Amino acid sequence: MTLDSLRSYGADVDDGLQRCMGMEDFYLEMIELGLADDRFENLGQVLKDNNMDEAFEMAHALKGVIGNLALTPLYDTLCEVTEHLRKKDAMDYTQAYAKLMEQRQQIINL
Amino acid sequence: MTFDGNTRLDIGAKYEKDFRRTVLIVDDEPVNLRILGNILKEEYDIVFAQGGAEALTIIKEQKDFLSLVLLDLYMHDGNGYFVLDGMRDDDSLKNIPVIVITAAKTEEVESLRRGAVDFLGKPYDSPEVIKARVKRAIELSIDRNIIVETGVDSLTGLMTKEFFFQYAREYDKFHPDQQVDAVVLNFCKFHLVNELYGRTMGDNLIRVIAMTAREVARSCGGVACRYNADCFYMYIEHQEDYSLLKDMLVQRISDILSPLDARIRIGVYPDLYRSANLEQRFDRATAASNTISKNIHSPHIAVYDNQMHEKELYEARLLGDMDKALEEHQFMVVFQPKYDITTDTPRLCSAEVLIRWKHPEFGFVRPDSFMPLFEENGRIKELDRYVWREAAKQLKRWKDLYGTAVPISVNVSRVDIYDPDLVDYLKQIIAENNISASELHLEITETAYTDSVTQIKGVVEGLRNEGFMVEMDDFGKGYSSLNMLTSLPIDALKLDMAFITDIAENNKEMSMVEFVLEIARFLGVPVIAEGVESASQYLLLKKAGCDIIQGYYFSKPVSATEFGHLIEKSRMAAR
Repeated sequence: MTLDSLRSYGADVDDGLQRCMGMEDFYLEMIELGLADDRFENLGQVLKDNNMDEAFEMAHALKGVIGNLALTPLYDTLCEVTEHLRKKDAMDYTQAYAKLMEQRQQIINL
Repeated sequence: MTFDGNTRLDIGAKYEKDFRRTVLIVDDEPVNLRILGNILKEEYDIVFAQGGAEALTIIKEQKDFLSLVLLDLYMHDGNGYFVLDGMRDDDSLKNIPVIVITAAKTEEVESLRRGAVDFLGKPYDSPEVIKARVKRAIELSIDRNIIVETGVDSLTGLMTKEFFFQYAREYDKFHPDQQVDAVVLNFCKFHLVNELYGRTMGDNLIRVIAMTAREVARSCGGVACRYNADCFYMYIEHQEDYSLLKDMLVQRISDILSPLDARIRIGVYPDLYRSANLEQRFDRATAASNTISKNIHSPHIAVYDNQMHEKELYEARLLGDMDKALEEHQFMVVFQPKYDITTDTPRLCSAEVLIRWKHPEFGFVRPDSFMPLFEENGRIKELDRYVWREAAKQLKRWKDLYGTAVPISVNVSRVDIYDPDLVDYLKQIIAENNISASELHLEITETAYTDSVTQIKGVVEGLRNEGFMVEMDDFGKGYSSLNMLTSLPIDALKLDMAFITDIAENNKEMSMVEFVLEIARFLGVPVIAEGVESASQYLLLKKAGCDIIQGYYFSKPVSATEFGHLIEKSRMAAR
């Protein structure tokens, strides 16, 4: 994973890097830490159980972290999911969840 | 209250070298914690908490060191409101500023309402914005704490005088038509309470008076402050009657102190027309309270009235006219003869030089109207020097006229003692008039001796070395110790007039006089009694062995010409 690859993925690298005081290594380390969060996996199970409150908590928390890391495409998906969950929208979350897991994997693979 | 550029605490400049401030970051997301910590770590020491409960524990433990809390509002263990509420409910924590971090606009107002000082958005703003807002929040909190510290008197919880005056000025600005009273409340001789009953009792008493003042001020729509140790100011809506304040003071104080000891003077200046500025109004309230004796046995009230106002104007006029009066020789010296009574026939031996002011408009002004006034306003030195010069000139004239003169005494005020130029000035006068130092006696009041023994001893020694004779004036009025008396270089003791007034055969006053005469004999100096008005007083004093008498019994103060005749007569008699 490099700044360039992140940039080509669609991350707002300038924004994220500035938030990390321009420290490239620190930024990359925070991204790895943020993406390694168990809640990505756990969110799938909670959604399957239709536990909307807990799902909202998780999505909201992940959104907060990913937003600060400026991983824009993944952040946008998390925002979308969080807003549905906040409104407790009764819908099939399978597709949205699959999308965000794929985006996450995409970044890990960079 | 605002702080201008000069008084603002520049924490960057002042403290950065000394120590680093500590900021607590509360967030349950490790990534967020680390990003914020990374932004702030250069300038602050950082403490982390990953939940509300942990945060509150840390805040309590480190409350004295924490400068700021950065609080994520949305955490899994209950939101950050838990922390805000916990801090707000604890007096020792509520002054630590909190900035909340929230992505939800709806939470911003609520968090400010619950005690946060500012908020930051999510995703985070740029590091520069975060740093600036953190710094600003800390500065504002320091300023606020300083205002609290400096605005409140620690013993009573009342406002301090600076804050009080600031408040009063603001009040005037926004209530231009409200009639307000300036009230000054002062406990006389408060040190006696401390001395007789102890400091704790004194502090309790001050608190009780403060509480009463505050309660009355509030009920009358106003504020109170502790002006100094035992003096309180109140600024309240105009009251026709102040008996409520008086009655409450008596009632409250009687719980801890005999009301007979409650020597409280209350001065009121009702400014119905806003004719005076704030300081003047309190000065006038003080002037009103000063008309009450310090030896009262219950709270007394005096309201500034026309008579006081006229006195104030009159005194201002006298002060203003002084320069012109000196220039135009409106001040005249008169001479009250002193007689030596140690011989069979009393013999003229000296005179005290006294001053009279013939004011072009007011006529003769009494010395007790202007002397204390000039003393208070630092003008007495000029007047004293004027008198010394006039006295010396007169001595020279008599010597020219009669070939001889008697020594005369002039008063030396307390402030003159501290004038480094004193000896030189007197020497110069002597030289200019070609008289000798031994002909000019100097009367120095006893209370000046008790002010500063070392200082006065040096000055008096210097004067005596030059040949001047020094008389201790008003002896008995002050509190000279016998020990001090023996070590002081003096040439005569002049008894305070108050001793003489009531003397009679074998009474207490007479015993006091005899006692003083004993002291004088021991010191080997003559005693001068002034204010002798009757034959019986004269005879008693003579019998007791008093040396010199001054007073109406022999002569009232006379003009220079008249005194010249007395010198001449005395010279003829001596032949």
